[in-house]
Amino acid sequence: MRQAFAPLLCALVGLASCVGMIGDSGDERAAAAAFAPAEPTLHRLTRPQIQNAWLDLFGKPLTMPADLPVDDVLYGFSSISAARSTIAPVDAEKYENATYALLDQIFADPARRDALVGCPVTAVGEPCVKDFVASFTTRAWRRPVSEEEVTSLHVLSAKVATDLEDEAQGLKFALAAVLLSPHFLFRVEVGEPGDEGYRYTGWEMASRLSFLLLDAPPDDTLREAARRGELATAEGVQAQASRLLDDPRARVTLTRFFRDFMNIGKLDALDKQPDKFPQLSATLGPSMRIEMERMFENNVFEKEGDFRDMFTTRDTYVNEDLARVYGIEGITGPEWTPVTLPDDGRRAGILTTPGFLALNAHKTQTSPTHRGRFVRLNMFCQDIPPPPPGINTTLPEAEPGKPTTLRQRLDEHRTNPECAGCHEQMDPIGFAFEKYDAIGVYRETDENGLTVDSTTVVDGHPVAGPIDMAELAASLPEVGACIARRFYEHAGAHLAGKGDKNSVEELVADFVASDYRFKDLVLGLVTNDGYRYASKPSQEVKP
Amino acid sequence: MSARKIERPSRRLFLRGLLGGAAVAVGLPIFEMMLNGNGDAFADGEDIPTRFGLWFFGNGVHLPTWTPPTVGPDWTVPEDFGLAPLLPYKEYVSVISGLSVMTPRHPHHSGMSAVCSGGPHLKIDDVRDTIVSTMKYPSIDQVAAQYFQSLAPNPYKSLEVAVTRFRGTDEGTSFQHLSHNGSKSGETNVNPSEESPHAFFDRLFNKGAGSPQVDRARGSVLDAVSGQIKTLQGRLGAKDKQRLEQHLTSISEIESRLNLPIGECNKPDDPGVFPDLASNEQIAEKNKAVSDLVALALSCGLTRSFSIQYSTCGSGAVFWMVGATDGQHYMNHTEPAPYTKQKDAVRFTMGQLAYFLDRLKNTPDATGNLLDHSSIFVCTEHTEGWTHAQDDLPMLLCGKGGGRLRGNVHYRQEGGSASRALMTALRGAGLPLTEFGYEEAHTKERIAELETA
Repeated sequence: MRQAFAPLLCALVGLASCVGMIGDSGDERAAAAAFAPAEPTLHRLTRPQIQNAWLDLFGKPLTMPADLPVDDVLYGFSSISAARSTIAPVDAEKYENATYALLDQIFADPARRDALVGCPVTAVGEPCVKDFVASFTTRAWRRPVSEEEVTSLHVLSAKVATDLEDEAQGLKFALAAVLLSPHFLFRVEVGEPGDEGYRYTGWEMASRLSFLLLDAPPDDTLREAARRGELATAEGVQAQASRLLDDPRARVTLTRFFRDFMNIGKLDALDKQPDKFPQLSATLGPSMRIEMERMFENNVFEKEGDFRDMFTTRDTYVNEDLARVYGIEGITGPEWTPVTLPDDGRRAGILTTPGFLALNAHKTQTSPTHRGRFVRLNMFCQDIPPPPPGINTTLPEAEPGKPTTLRQRLDEHRTNPECAGCHEQMDPIGFAFEKYDAIGVYRETDENGLTVDSTTVVDGHPVAGPIDMAELAASLPEVGACIARRFYEHAGAHLAGKGDKNSVEELVADFVASDYRFKDLVLGLVTNDGYRYASKPSQEVKP
Repeated sequence: MSARKIERPSRRLFLRGLLGGAAVAVGLPIFEMMLNGNGDAFADGEDIPTRFGLWFFGNGVHLPTWTPPTVGPDWTVPEDFGLAPLLPYKEYVSVISGLSVMTPRHPHHSGMSAVCSGGPHLKIDDVRDTIVSTMKYPSIDQVAAQYFQSLAPNPYKSLEVAVTRFRGTDEGTSFQHLSHNGSKSGETNVNPSEESPHAFFDRLFNKGAGSPQVDRARGSVLDAVSGQIKTLQGRLGAKDKQRLEQHLTSISEIESRLNLPIGECNKPDDPGVFPDLASNEQIAEKNKAVSDLVALALSCGLTRSFSIQYSTCGSGAVFWMVGATDGQHYMNHTEPAPYTKQKDAVRFTMGQLAYFLDRLKNTPDATGNLLDHSSIFVCTEHTEGWTHAQDDLPMLLCGKGGGRLRGNVHYRQEGGSASRALMTALRGAGLPLTEFGYEEAHTKERIAELETA
């Protein structure tokens, strides 16, 4: 990031520099930060994770309970929120209802139940049933269980069986105690001392890997690797991660990371004014999201290419929804067709996808500010503070009879020194994309018929328009570094702080050395010390 | 529901509730606040339980068409003012104006925590400027809930429900949720609002009665889970211990419900779902469904404390019925003066509040109606959306609080602490507070003008 303008702006507005590199404040730069990995924590299973965990235990067919707690998002990622949140009363209710709904499906069919258990459930005290409870719990809790833990489940099943005069029901309620347990609902990480420092246990590592790459609990091979202690070494972890990356579920899961990274899950509720945009349809929002996800999958899994190509490629996928926005004729229906968009200076990469452009715009109008802010924040990992309280943020109105472009109005806004400091960082990037309306349709003139100007200057670089901006983004080292950082934060489910500094730098270096191959970023991450090691859990409460 | 004699609470029970529950995050201040010098300042026994509600709407108002022109009893406003729809209910509504956020300010964040909890927001993590926060102290619906539970258990300690679809931003829990349990260390401890009237109906009224044996079995499972949580807590760091403390509380709430007779409720009709019509959210219809269900839940004693998140802090709900085409937050930053759409949106919103108050007023409760026996605090996180100003906060106190609240007063104090209003609202529900609020927002001044005695 070229900070050349920053001192000038500071002088102008008398504020501290608006933009800072995230996790890189001045004093940190001065002092070499010591390696201090995050503390281990409880990770509440996200919705897809808990569903996969249930499927892993019961197999298909399984009717998924519809009313599950919603995953909140923190810093863009449900993974980070899951490492912070608790289970509220209403959530506990939802888990309880869901658990019984699932168990009732299994127990309503004695043949299925007995197949799951491995023998007819005639008495909960029978060795076969007891063995099943132990193995079910081991799998559900993703670690070996203690004798004490199993015994208390046996006591519970016997008690309920007697009270209800129904042996199978005794078993059912014992399984409920397994599935409502914090050991199931959370990924529990405590860590252990190792030769080279405090680190995650093999079983914890197995779950870390499996949920990171597949959003699912460890499979038999991974469990075996944990049991043999193979996950204590970087090589052992890397071997398993390579294997999991070939699992088709890894596509879905890593694409989910990309969805969070680009915030495009929000496109499913695309909210635009229907009478302004004839291209709108009920499925346009999800289609926009899928297009971007397919670009990611193509880059990472088909081409195994340089991730920076995501900013410049004209290869994409369209269905009828997208074809209408792109103005491509002859594509009908919901099926996806790979296309190479024409080299006409109109489209290149994810920053010119309708999804990105629509998401960072308003219901009727574009928003250079939002588009620029997204790029600064999420692609450059820079930070923009919100407007200070007490400042009127309303844009000046156009004089009657003298229509102005949004850009002109924003330019005027930036003459206010209190606004300029930050808007100067956001708006110029967004101006490069002013040739796309609020749903991403290319245009030369705006809604008032005024010619749109998409030339701009970003951090001292003259930018001729959107393609230039996309190429600039692809060429900036900050962008590759930012993706690596965000993946690190998602994987570890915490923001990278001082103690992660070296780990992040190492990961970035790995990513660069691999010519920005995303799969290598994943392998670099799982072997990174910041991912494998932890700080001993603290008994002190610090905010 | 028949009138239930509320016993004088035991200090031990209340203390246990605080220590055993989520409010442990609060520590003892609240407990201490509720005691006078003799340690016995709890409420006198009351015949009819007073309910407490928090009704929140996001993004502030349009101040010139909000504040009643005169101060004192018998407020009124011109017909085009935001408060006009409340005029038919004004005997039950007091307007509070002029109060300020006393804690360090930040757009939306500080106002939200100040008006809902009486404390500062807790910025979590120190590695980004773009602030992400949660509430450091519990929102007042939870303060009331904790107190009510110490008097006599209700089937639900509190109920949380939302009207407009969640459209907040990713700046932390207070942009997504209303009810908070407080956070000591940056864990995010919220009570999510149910956004679907259908799911809310299902949760409260559509339960098959379990046999005593099945209830016992469920209880045994919950006991086992509680045991697992406690054992696990012993191995965890402080932060995770805290998080599991809430899980434990949540489990015990379900468990306590197994042993409680659920009030006699006439099962209402399923309100169904409310899909958008021509991309327009059916806000009035959802508000009606939610209001009806909350009134019923209160009337049959399912809970004494509730929160209604009409819209989130910094909400992006689209008030299409007043001609808005963009989400309110954006609209507030772009609509030129005289802010006609915001003005109309606020007036519409007060019309929705009026529906809820009407429902309560028309629901008999012992000798009067539900509104007679409620204290409902209505607030928003700042004054006007285009400035994020946090002085002269728009606030309402609705209901007669079981005779504790006067109603129909416009009270104004320029620059006073917002916590004064929160404290008065809680006092209106019978909480014996003589001080309230935290850190810079702490106050010992109630608003006596709004109280009867």
